[in-house]
Amino acid sequence: MSLNKNMRVVIVDDYTTMLRILRNLLRQLEINNVEEASDGDTAYHLLQKNPPDLVISDWNMAPVTGLDLLKRVRADAKLKHIPFIMVTAESKTENVIAAKQAGVSNYIVKPFNADTLRAKIASVFPAMV
Amino acid sequence: MSQSGTLQLPDAHGYLDRVIGELRAIEAPHKNTLVNVLEYLSGHIRATRSEIGALRSGSGNSQMFSTTTDELEEIVTETARATNRIMDAAEAVEKVAATLEPGPANALMDATTNIYEASAFQDITGQRITKIVRALQSLEEKLAALASAFGPLDETFVANAPEGDAALLNGPQMEKTAASQTDIDALFASLG
Repeated sequence: MSLNKNMRVVIVDDYTTMLRILRNLLRQLEINNVEEASDGDTAYHLLQKNPPDLVISDWNMAPVTGLDLLKRVRADAKLKHIPFIMVTAESKTENVIAAKQAGVSNYIVKPFNADTLRAKIASVFPAMV
Repeated sequence: MSQSGTLQLPDAHGYLDRVIGELRAIEAPHKNTLVNVLEYLSGHIRATRSEIGALRSGSGNSQMFSTTTDELEEIVTETARATNRIMDAAEAVEKVAATLEPGPANALMDATTNIYEASAFQDITGQRITKIVRALQSLEEKLAALASAFGPLDETFVANAPEGDAALLNGPQMEKTAASQTDIDALFASLG
């Protein structure tokens, strides 16, 4: 499967190490147009300013969580169409259900590998596969 | 008893002791069984108050919890630092790989991918430790509330602090208070 190498991705996580891991793995997928945010609120303003092609967000952040961010994105006419992948250690059934109900495009459980990341990105852009 | 007639927790064992004294003074069959039970309760309350007092003492509760919390947060900081150094190295390898023939380049790229994937442990352990820190903080609050319910206490209990050589085992030091190697060298030299 091939990915659109020109896509612009916003990654959101309050652990700078995880941002770095995500950026490196995306680079290995030849996705280099990546912007970072360390919390949901900062990410939302970044998205409003310049809507990306994809959002990859952690869930467990304060004060605006990944789920909050997802809900804001889905409630925003300008952003609601953007694919949103949750990457999180929250793996309980109720978490996945809540994210799905809020409109998440796909869900990755930490720790994850590069193949999973590639597959989930591809799954939200089926036309590109 | 309080002015409202309700028995307060701090008064409980004194009240029991008075009841025990009154019971002993009267002639009643089987009173010894009741006296024994009340003496047991009185002793138990006294021991519990003593233990709560120990938790409230300077060498107990708050210092123990804050030190433990600091130690856990230091683990998060140290593992993050180590992870970033590992990733520095992996990124350097990745740059070299880009200059090589496809065979070795791909092999090195796969290796760095594995390093990036494995580095996610820091995020997971960090989240777990944060949960433990929150649980400790909650426990500390509950103990403080329990101690408060027991009222003023005799804080004469001395914690079982280590003595002799055992008292020297306090490492690893927290980074913010630890002596540097330079400090150690200077101290070592000053000792002759």
